[in-house]
Amino acid sequence: MANKSKAINWFLHRITGTFLVFLLITHFWVQHYDSQVASISKTVVTQEQTTPEYPNEAQEAVEARFAPGEVDGYYNEDGSVTPYGVVMLRLADPVYAVLWKGFNILFLIVALHHGFYGLNNVLTDYIRNDMGKMVAKTLSWSLALVLLVIGLYSVITAGW
Amino acid sequence: MAVETAERPEAHEVTQEVQTDTSRFQRYRVRTGMFAWMAHRLSGLALVGYLVVHIWGLRALTSPEAFNALIAKYHAPIYKVGEFLLLVAVAYHAMNGLRIVLIDFLGWSPNQKKLFWTLGAVTAVIIAVGGYPSIYALVDHYFLS
Repeated sequence: MANKSKAINWFLHRITGTFLVFLLITHFWVQHYDSQVASISKTVVTQEQTTPEYPNEAQEAVEARFAPGEVDGYYNEDGSVTPYGVVMLRLADPVYAVLWKGFNILFLIVALHHGFYGLNNVLTDYIRNDMGKMVAKTLSWSLALVLLVIGLYSVITAGW
Repeated sequence: MAVETAERPEAHEVTQEVQTDTSRFQRYRVRTGMFAWMAHRLSGLALVGYLVVHIWGLRALTSPEAFNALIAKYHAPIYKVGEFLLLVAVAYHAMNGLRIVLIDFLGWSPNQKKLFWTLGAVTAVIIAVGGYPSIYALVDHYFLS
């Protein structure tokens, strides 16, 4: 019985891994390299803890969707857009928010399964007694569950 | 899970090493495949650690003020270095993982080594192109402005 479930998880690990490559490319692209968020400007690295300056594309996109003063946190006092405003372009979109939230939830589940299955592989390789293996397994999957709940809550409520 | 890409060693070499190396660590034969496997585990562990911190930090998504403060903090130089290291870990883990999947599902092939070095080159390109913004921002901050 144990062997059969291990084989399924082994297979799933490869499937989730392959899947993650595509999810990560999308995630990295929209969060770091897309023209709206790519800010290779002098203000990107700063010790001052000020929000980065976004390119005009981001400014215009946020202005087009969320009027200044309508919601707190979308604009800085000088009228420039904030990182929250840029992220909400997707997560508070009237039409596509559901799709982006779905993408993020799928990403969350796949990444957690892949990461914690891999972690358990490593742990059970080095922990030799059965009791220790069980404790490590229980603790790590509990942490994964907590992260799943936090992640789901954050993504679902963001922008609502 | 481990994938050995080094050519099969001569038989007498093996017996000699097993007999002389008594410590647990030295019994591992660190060649290309072994190194790839160890780096895969280490980068995997690092990525799980990052995943935990990342999801924990995303609680800030529920509050505009907290989120903006978090992003502002992430623009300190130290996080730019972290960003680059993250890309290195992700690129390596993804490409070596792809290699493992290809070997597991398609089987061994005489082109084993070619696959290894091709994916190695792809990884280097991903790191160079994807990491350019982070490195440029750091160089700009410390040397150009």
